[in-house]
Amino acid sequence: MKIAVCVKHAVDETELKVDSGGNPQLKGAPTKMSTFDKNAVEEALRLKAAHQGEVVILTVGTPEAKKTMKEALAMGADRGVLVSADPMAMDTRRTSELLAAALKKGGPYDMILCSEGSSDMYSGLVPPMLGELLGLPYVGYVKKVDVSGQSAKVERALEDSVEVVEAPLPIVVSVVSEINEPRYPTLIQIMQAGKKPVEDLTPEALLPGAGPPVPLVKGMKAQAMARKRVVFEGPPEETAKKLIDALAAEGVLPR
Amino acid sequence: MPIYSAEHRRLMEMFYPDHHQEYSEVLASLGTFMEKELLPISPRIDTGEVKMGGPRKALLKQGICRISFPEEYGGLGLPFSIYALAIEMLGTADASTCLSVEIHNAVAEGLNLFATEAQKRAHLPRLLSGESLASFTLTEPASGSDAGTMATTAEKKGGEYSINGSKMFITNAGDADLYLVFAKTRKGPSCFIVEAPNPGLSFGEDLRKLGMRGSRTSEVIFSDCRVPEADLVGEEGKGADYAKEILHGARIIVAALNVGIAQIAYEKSLSYARQRKAFGKTISEFQLIREKIADMKTEIGAARLLYLYASRIKESGGDYSSEASQAKVFSTEMSLRACDSAIQIHGGYGYTTEELHRHWRDARLLTIGEGTSEVLRMLIARRELTMSR
Repeated sequence: MKIAVCVKHAVDETELKVDSGGNPQLKGAPTKMSTFDKNAVEEALRLKAAHQGEVVILTVGTPEAKKTMKEALAMGADRGVLVSADPMAMDTRRTSELLAAALKKGGPYDMILCSEGSSDMYSGLVPPMLGELLGLPYVGYVKKVDVSGQSAKVERALEDSVEVVEAPLPIVVSVVSEINEPRYPTLIQIMQAGKKPVEDLTPEALLPGAGPPVPLVKGMKAQAMARKRVVFEGPPEETAKKLIDALAAEGVLPR
Repeated sequence: MPIYSAEHRRLMEMFYPDHHQEYSEVLASLGTFMEKELLPISPRIDTGEVKMGGPRKALLKQGICRISFPEEYGGLGLPFSIYALAIEMLGTADASTCLSVEIHNAVAEGLNLFATEAQKRAHLPRLLSGESLASFTLTEPASGSDAGTMATTAEKKGGEYSINGSKMFITNAGDADLYLVFAKTRKGPSCFIVEAPNPGLSFGEDLRKLGMRGSRTSEVIFSDCRVPEADLVGEEGKGADYAKEILHGARIIVAALNVGIAQIAYEKSLSYARQRKAFGKTISEFQLIREKIADMKTEIGAARLLYLYASRIKESGGDYSSEASQAKVFSTEMSLRACDSAIQIHGGYGYTTEELHRHWRDARLLTIGEGTSEVLRMLIARRELTMSR
């Protein structure tokens, strides 16, 4: 199988600081591979272990994205393709077009894996757009993939049910975090990752004549969320009941 | 705070301007592994609910013991200081595992220094990958740093040595696959590889220690324990020198371990002082608490620089024995002070919570193990007084 994994180098949302005006401090903020992308890489490596083949990592990113590329290669991917552009300075559509062009150039792939959404913007738009742009079936929010021959049986984790779908390869799949437990690259793999080939592509070469991208985000504000701060008092039997009633009234208990 | 902190990263930039990025990647990845796989179970390793064997194996598989060894034996060929920093991080994540790994690595270090090419090829790759575990078997019930007085003997019989005697306070005893054993032949203290199982090798009960409770420590007993002649390490009669050399390196590492213990005690103190209220304000606002925080932070930084200084001398091939001793004396005593302050800051909770006072119990070992503070002060002073005349 030839598998492509699209990953994003993103701001580490757990380390993000907000200034007094509510503006997230993106400059100089710590960055990392978008959290769920590790699950997509892991799934590709598992499929490769079962079916042989090759795992190629694709990313649209600034030079700093090499860190994420290297991490994915250290996990065990074979090679990388880096499209030099800042995904934070363009709309999701342009990111998807760049990825689709790079996938066409290096393809055909049997499967294109993404995560359900990036941990910074979390629009979840790139995977379906890739399906559309490449004319391939897209299956989203996947928690299990089984490939046999030229088709894949996948389980989609929906809000309150699991949908089992069978699709012919090639397909675009977006995975949820419960699909697997990403491996840690060993120190030897980290040291060797730098020697794996990474192809550099430019937006100009991939999309000649395309106009400037539409900047999607002008500014972001963090909103303080008010907590309800309800305190129940009394003996445990009573407070437990009150708590359950309150949770039921909020609609957060399973029906 | 991430185990591989911004401070560590800055030190790497200063010490290794040409390679710091690569070294930081290695250490940051190990740090993430420790944060997720070790730190959360550390309290249960201390209480014995979780056996350390599994996590230790996983950690060795990640490659922590490959760091400073040559590539031909499966190492990464990185500087010793990178390994020392990794050990500091491991001390923060779990001191018991750290002690076990540190001893294991010291044996590999000894083999790398003194073993024959054939012995290195036979043992180092398996030790570095964590496939087998090692134990350093020197101390005896009545002989410690005065290794020359050891009572364990190795007698040559035909093509074999027969080892008789007993060793005490041995870390990894019972768990290890390879024992680096020091025993006296007619030529004096000598060094042997003893592989387990061996019919002449047995173990006492696990000792009930004050701290480092996740790691196994017991007596190791040799009764007509036969090893082939080929398992003699280096030359007969040079064992005491080998042990000394191995211990010099291990002292840097023990210093690093204790910086790691102090660091976790410090971080817990910081967050407790910020949230605990007394007299209407958080205790972090009181000057006497602030003094403790400031002293902990300052001393941790000083101890870190001292062990890295010793380590950098070792890397450059110089005599680092005194600096290693200085680092160990300062760092182990510093971490006791820090862990004591942590208990004081936590008040009643500090005294009554395993999760907190275990750091003091863990730290307490190391003003004793691998050279007591008293012996090391003797070494430091001896060099000063004989050199500067």
